Amino acid sequence: MGNSPKNQVAETQGLEFRAVAKAFDGNRVFDGLNLTIGKGEFFIILGPSGCGKTTLLRLIAGLETVDGGEIFLNGRAIQNTEAGDRGVAMVFQDYALYPHMTVAENLAFGLRNMGVPAAEIATRIGDTARSLSIDAFLDKRPGKLSGGQQQRVALARALVKKPDILLMDEPLSSLDPALRLKTRRELAALGRNLSATMVMVTHDQVEAMTLATRIMIMHDHVIQQIGTPLEIFSRPANLFVAQFVGATPMNLLSGDLAAGEAGRAAFRLGESDIQTQVALHDLPESTAWQLGLRAEHVALTTPEKPHIPATVDFVERLGEQSWVHVRLTDGSELVATETGVSPHRPGDRVGVRLDGAKAHLFDVDGRAWHPEPA
Amino acid sequence: MSRVRGRRVWQGLRYAFCAVMLILILLPLAWTVFLSLRNNVDLMRQAPLSLFGPYTLGNYGELLKNRTLFRWFFNSMVVSGFSVAGVLALSSLAGYAFGRLHFPFRNWLYAFVLMGLAIPDQSVILTRHHIFSTLHWHNTYLALILPGLSAPLGVFLMTETFRAIPKGMEDAARLDRASPFMIFWKVLLPQTVPAQASLGIYTFLLSWNDYWWPLISATRPDMFTLTEGMAAAQTNYAEVTGMGVLMAEAVLAGLPVLIIYIAFQKHIVSAITGMVKL
Amino acid sequence: MAVSSRNEATRGWGNLLFALPFLSVYVWLLVYPLLAGIRLSLYRANLFGGEHFIAFENYVRLFRDGTFLQALGNSLMFVGLTVPVLVLLALMLALSLNRATRFAAFMRSVVFASSVLSVTVLTIIWRQVLVPDGGLLSHFSHMIGQAPVAFLNDQRLVLPSLAVITVWWSLGLPMILFLSALQQVPRSVYEAAALDRATPWSVFRRITLPAVMPAVILVAAYECALQFQVFGQPQLLTQGGPNGASRPLVLYIYETGFNHWDIGYAAAASQMLFALILVALLVPQAARWLHAFLKGRRA
Repeated sequence: MGNSPKNQVAETQGLEFRAVAKAFDGNRVFDGLNLTIGKGEFFIILGPSGCGKTTLLRLIAGLETVDGGEIFLNGRAIQNTEAGDRGVAMVFQDYALYPHMTVAENLAFGLRNMGVPAAEIATRIGDTARSLSIDAFLDKRPGKLSGGQQQRVALARALVKKPDILLMDEPLSSLDPALRLKTRRELAALGRNLSATMVMVTHDQVEAMTLATRIMIMHDHVIQQIGTPLEIFSRPANLFVAQFVGATPMNLLSGDLAAGEAGRAAFRLGESDIQTQVALHDLPESTAWQLGLRAEHVALTTPEKPHIPATVDFVERLGEQSWVHVRLTDGSELVATETGVSPHRPGDRVGVRLDGAKAHLFDVDGRAWHPEPA
Repeated sequence: MSRVRGRRVWQGLRYAFCAVMLILILLPLAWTVFLSLRNNVDLMRQAPLSLFGPYTLGNYGELLKNRTLFRWFFNSMVVSGFSVAGVLALSSLAGYAFGRLHFPFRNWLYAFVLMGLAIPDQSVILTRHHIFSTLHWHNTYLALILPGLSAPLGVFLMTETFRAIPKGMEDAARLDRASPFMIFWKVLLPQTVPAQASLGIYTFLLSWNDYWWPLISATRPDMFTLTEGMAAAQTNYAEVTGMGVLMAEAVLAGLPVLIIYIAFQKHIVSAITGMVKL
Repeated sequence: MAVSSRNEATRGWGNLLFALPFLSVYVWLLVYPLLAGIRLSLYRANLFGGEHFIAFENYVRLFRDGTFLQALGNSLMFVGLTVPVLVLLALMLALSLNRATRFAAFMRSVVFASSVLSVTVLTIIWRQVLVPDGGLLSHFSHMIGQAPVAFLNDQRLVLPSLAVITVWWSLGLPMILFLSALQQVPRSVYEAAALDRATPWSVFRRITLPAVMPAVILVAAYECALQFQVFGQPQLLTQGGPNGASRPLVLYIYETGFNHWDIGYAAAASQMLFALILVALLVPQAARWLHAFLKGRRA
């Protein structure tokens, strides 16, 4: 980039945030936020409630104004453009359909305001309605439709505008589980077929992992990590990400570092040393260390050495797998995954075998250090 | 058990009370209807009237020939009708502004408007009279309609109504490229129809029953509203009409409001309970 | 570095335009007349023009004016007669009719129906009830062999009579407001009390009454403010007589302004009325502050 002046038009396609700042009532919510989303990506912002993800979405849409910084969409600066003029469409969490208009009128409203000729409005509505299977109720009012149907109307209303970027605010959260699964798969298909960039906000990590090309994890208005689902899962940047993503939170054990074999760190847990594959020379000074291991890398066997002795606390059986919660002699808790229905019972004495090669290390600030391949 | 007996006594008292109140309320109304169906000659006699006495519809017949009465009714319709239209229009626009839009000094202006709720008519009547005298607008419909449009109650109700609409729809409309006026006209206003109905009916009743201002502004008999005309009628009745006719007039004057009331009870009640939020 | 952008369409002066039509009428016909009225009260002025500044002389004159003082006394007396009875009866009606039965719904309608009549129809109806020759009550007197009472012509009975008429007319609104307050109490609270074997009296004292008390105070204040403005009933039925015994403040203002054309003086009287009304409206607020203050002290 060199010496290019800051207000030069960005050359990248897709969405770019540059040094965006936002304050609410004097509270600096975002400061110097930088983000790039490629054209055509299915980008998911994932995080718990209140982390700022919806605010971010609204900044893209223009429903909130930035207090500093710039936003670029396909090369154009849009932070000062009106909400309706940005080429952005949005599906709201509660759909926000116009209750007194029919479905067709809901879809036509925006197009009419954009000055699209009537014939083309009719064609676009027809095509979009058919592709989302809502053409049967174009004449109905939203109040007469089921939740799933309303959601598709909300989606249709967004798509019919042929937006450059499609925003979705927790689109699946109001649906019941069966419908949620079906709709998730439909969204995945949409993502593959649509050339527009899609940005979706959710707190459900399963949705994020299955749908996204890249995920951005947010917590307390701070970006924790941006990466592909695989990266997020296998190389979480910090404790928060490690625990947020995954069927069950990553196991964490406190202990000390020691020098291990081949320049890798070893983790001293009570009397046992667990050999990890984390390079020792990269690690910083830290007053405390934690070992992180996913439940699928914790195995339960017979309770003799060298396995770590533990007692079973309780078992969660899900059918295709079970989560066995065990307690070590020093009181720490671990979860182990077993396929099928686990035979273990509360109170059983077991031995825990940890797959050190898959372990991550977390320093006192929560930063993660990952195993390197040999 | 004393509790059951206590409840029975309570219930008995309740019924007795309700029965007494019912009679007390209905009696004057029934009496009026009764008198309206009696012959004027009968009514002039000193002797007490009998319940079985001769009944007649003649008083009503005479009234229906009375052009002045129709003229008064027409005036009331015009004034009340336009008052409702005016109040709804002004209150909706202002309610949208105070309830959904942002502009400098918005909250101060709203407080300024709410303070007007405490101002009684009597404090403003003299100057209002002067204003319309200067404009030579007395004895016109305009003079009868305009003061009613300055009342803050409608603005308060509509502001609360607009505030209560979920924000999502407005966001969606903004993304649909709607201007603030379009958002008002096409998206939000249709959601306020129940409140509009309540405010409209309440305004209609208030305007229809208004006595104080028409008395002062409409001084020509052909510009009287029905309510004002009834006042004139009762002070003149001895010479002009006759007791039975006067009673019939009262019945006919009361009937439209009673019919509107019965038809729109729910709306009136919800307008009133809406005001409780203040 | 981009300017912190404020979207003009949602923040600008342009949005004020929506409120402008109302604000124009409001200032022209409510605010300005109020201020002009206050100013007028400081002048000696005639309905037909001509005025000169006399500062507070009008107010001083008012307090020496026997007719004004009588009107003031009448207004206070009238409010004192009307409001307590009105509030009490409306409360009793609300308590009795807070049921879902057809009869209760019917009665509520009947009670409110009397309120939708105009004051002019009201006076026609009640004149024929109270008048000693041919009135309804005179018929009852005849039946029990008594001479009919001339309610509207008796200096001691005229205000109470007007109060009765006004209560009859005004029951609807307070009753609705009390009903609305009573209905805020969820049914389950009463059911819990029943399971706790509470007597009807303690249910009333502990659950019903506290629920409706705020509404009672508000209604009482509002009705005081309203009844200080009584006009139609005395003007049409008694013309303020006999000997001014039933002339309330508003009638006094009307006569001074539009019959005697002494509008500066009338304006002063109307500002006195305004002050009375403000006091009536502010009493609940003051009571609330007092209550909060006392609560704070005790803590």
